[in-house]
Amino acid sequence: MNPFRTLLALAFSFAAIGCAREPDLTVYCAHDQVFAEPLIQRYAKEHGLDVRVEFDIEGQKTVGLVTRIIEEQSRPRCDVFWNNEAAHSARLAERGLLASYDSPSAKDIPAEFRDPQHRWTGFGARGRVLIVNTELAAPSKLHSVRDLLDPAFKGKTCMAKPLTGTTLSHAAAWIDELGEAQTLAFLKELQAGGVNFVQSNGQVMRLVSSGEMAYGMTDTDDFNVARMRGSPVAVVYPDQDGDGTLVIPNTVMVLASAPHQDAAKRFVDWVLSKEVEAELARCDAAQIPVRADVPRPAHVRSTAEVKTLPVDWAKIGADLERRFELMKGLFVG
Amino acid sequence: MSRPLLLLACAAFAAAALAPIAAMLPRVEAADWRALLASAHWELLGNTLLFGAATAVLALLVGLPFGLLVARTDVPFARAARSLGIVPLCIPPMLFAMVFTALSDLRGAPASILILATSTFPIVAVFTVRAAERIDARLEEAALLVGGVRAALRIDLRLVLPSALCGACFAFVFAIHDFSVPDYVAFVGPKFNVYAAEIFASWRVDSRPGLAVAKSLPLVLLSIAVIVPALRLNRAASATTIQAGFRTGAPLALGVWRAPALLFVLAVLACGVFVPLGRLLWEAGGGAAGFELPRIASAFGRALELSRVNLQQSFLWSLGAAAAVVPVALVLGHALARARWLEPFAILPLAVPAILFGIGEIVLWNHAWSARFYDGPGLVVLLFAGRFACFAILAVSGAATALDPRLEEAAALAGARPARRLVSIVAPSLRSALAGGFVLVFVLSMRELDAAILVPTANQTAIFRVYQQVHFGRDDFVAALALLVVCLILLPGVLWAAFGGRRLEVLP
Repeated sequence: MNPFRTLLALAFSFAAIGCAREPDLTVYCAHDQVFAEPLIQRYAKEHGLDVRVEFDIEGQKTVGLVTRIIEEQSRPRCDVFWNNEAAHSARLAERGLLASYDSPSAKDIPAEFRDPQHRWTGFGARGRVLIVNTELAAPSKLHSVRDLLDPAFKGKTCMAKPLTGTTLSHAAAWIDELGEAQTLAFLKELQAGGVNFVQSNGQVMRLVSSGEMAYGMTDTDDFNVARMRGSPVAVVYPDQDGDGTLVIPNTVMVLASAPHQDAAKRFVDWVLSKEVEAELARCDAAQIPVRADVPRPAHVRSTAEVKTLPVDWAKIGADLERRFELMKGLFVG
Repeated sequence: MSRPLLLLACAAFAAAALAPIAAMLPRVEAADWRALLASAHWELLGNTLLFGAATAVLALLVGLPFGLLVARTDVPFARAARSLGIVPLCIPPMLFAMVFTALSDLRGAPASILILATSTFPIVAVFTVRAAERIDARLEEAALLVGGVRAALRIDLRLVLPSALCGACFAFVFAIHDFSVPDYVAFVGPKFNVYAAEIFASWRVDSRPGLAVAKSLPLVLLSIAVIVPALRLNRAASATTIQAGFRTGAPLALGVWRAPALLFVLAVLACGVFVPLGRLLWEAGGGAAGFELPRIASAFGRALELSRVNLQQSFLWSLGAAAAVVPVALVLGHALARARWLEPFAILPLAVPAILFGIGEIVLWNHAWSARFYDGPGLVVLLFAGRFACFAILAVSGAATALDPRLEEAAALAGARPARRLVSIVAPSLRSALAGGFVLVFVLSMRELDAAILVPTANQTAIFRVYQQVHFGRDDFVAALALLVVCLILLPGVLWAAFGGRRLEVLP
């Protein structure tokens, strides 16, 4: 027996069996797997495509896939990135990693949810809201994010650490709204004022639902999960008398180096369709349609009913890494 | 030993198990080493070691008496308890975390210690049982004559202690490398950081793979420093107890202590088997929202419908890894029994944190020339085989130590070539260890989560699906899927127990 020939034969056989078939489309998806997967599977089935979908790890919301897209520049694998927020999408655009594609499905999407250069487009959004345990606090008395500092509820309010996902986007948006020094001072005030900084928006929802906390800052989809479970909770869209509530859209984009550009554009057209946005509003994620005429259940608000905080996502994306470092300085170590 | 075969097996082991580790080393830069000097780093390492030590001590305190009772005493249902006692090792630790956090408000390090001790006490128990079986009846009889059952148990305890300590060392290494349990416990409670999470963050959040490697080094050295002496201690203990005229004694009669002993055994089984599986079954039936038997069927139907592919892939990939490891384990295990100095190399994949092993696979295979392999199932099989081959090799080497070399010498004199001797003489004699290695690799592959989190294709396993799904809240679907995973994990072991005709040998 020649060991080297045998080894070669074994290695080739193993590699041949173990190699993947080239998919028709590769989608990286940071939206919750439980909601996005059935939709994408249906798309693949209806179009007879082999679609490979890679979802983000829950603990590393969004950051994981963004990091991978950046790392994979030399060997692009991803065609479409379905992000669950906008700041990192703008960051990828700033790095020149996204293709410009003006989808016909996006014609009626308001400009505030679209990149002016068509590198990403927003749809189905989440609001940054206060979730209130109605057995512990009166929702009618809460109006602003600053109510987290109410001395009557010291130690009983919470929000996620602004290091990933929508909470990082929120803190990054505050920097534009309030200024950097004031934002950092406000966050320090929250820390000193007894606000509990927890790991995730889901944890905020659980703490408030169970009554361990009176109220906290979370996303509308997390609030909806608590509502559906029958927990004694209510939602407050903060700062309706002020600058408005931050609304963060899902975003979808074609990668500049996408191996399957045409298939990617067709997928983006489908994701941005009113049907998909309606499905996202109907499902448990209760995403807020960015188009007023998209059908939605009664418990899902329209962006037309909510005063939204104006956000320059491109500006945030360009400066996101520095702002993340600022947050790390406050919340890590 | 056939030199070509040995070379082949070494090459396969190096490619699967050592190359991902070696691939990481060039990534380390001077700044990464300097980062190790930070006091926060050593503080976290210290906390993690304390965490591992506490887990190991608890696993020892439960596993040792449990193993001794079911192996050497007349405690009722000892045989059944012995088999059931292995089940917690087959349940992915994250499922324990799911159940524990649902039943208790305890969070943070204490919760993680309890969960990992529940998951790892069977290692101590299996080592203890094996050591107890080697106790010569004459020693026990002498002790019984002098001081009764208590004296006999004292003698037994002294004889099994080295092996039990060896098992506790394995529990320690499992605990300090674990990522999924502290991650889950921290997700549902206050932040509790461990060293493995820090390595993960260095790679995924800070994008500094070199720092991840540098940070892993203390854990690798520590793991080797713990496991190599532990294995030697275990071997020394087994060598001293087997003597000429050896016979196994009758179970020790516990007398009035029989009922408390049974209670202890049942309590351990309740914590490790009945409560976790029962709780998951209850949740599959609707749980707090209203338990109904028909809902169980619908939950399992939904789990099969939504996750059939994940279950199939997990099963096939784990079977593939186990099957690939067996021939390598036969050759290397046999060689290792005769050249113990190779042991540190064999256990290196066990000493490396799973997170780092996963990163190594990415660094090694994520290139344009290997893109199709990187995206395919082959990489997952390679990941599992490389990561767990050492367990099968150690199991085979343990059994090969007891193999009479004269058998092979006789075959050699009769003209049988080395490869023939290996296949016709050695392999049949080591059948139980080979099957044990196969089952062990299969079980560990099925429950592997830490390394699978990083490798994209491995994100399609059933246990990863549970990990993802559980973050959206616990429902009947998650519970049913978790139970299906456990059933699949148990399947090969149960089949062997039913049709194998002899016991699996899984210990080094």
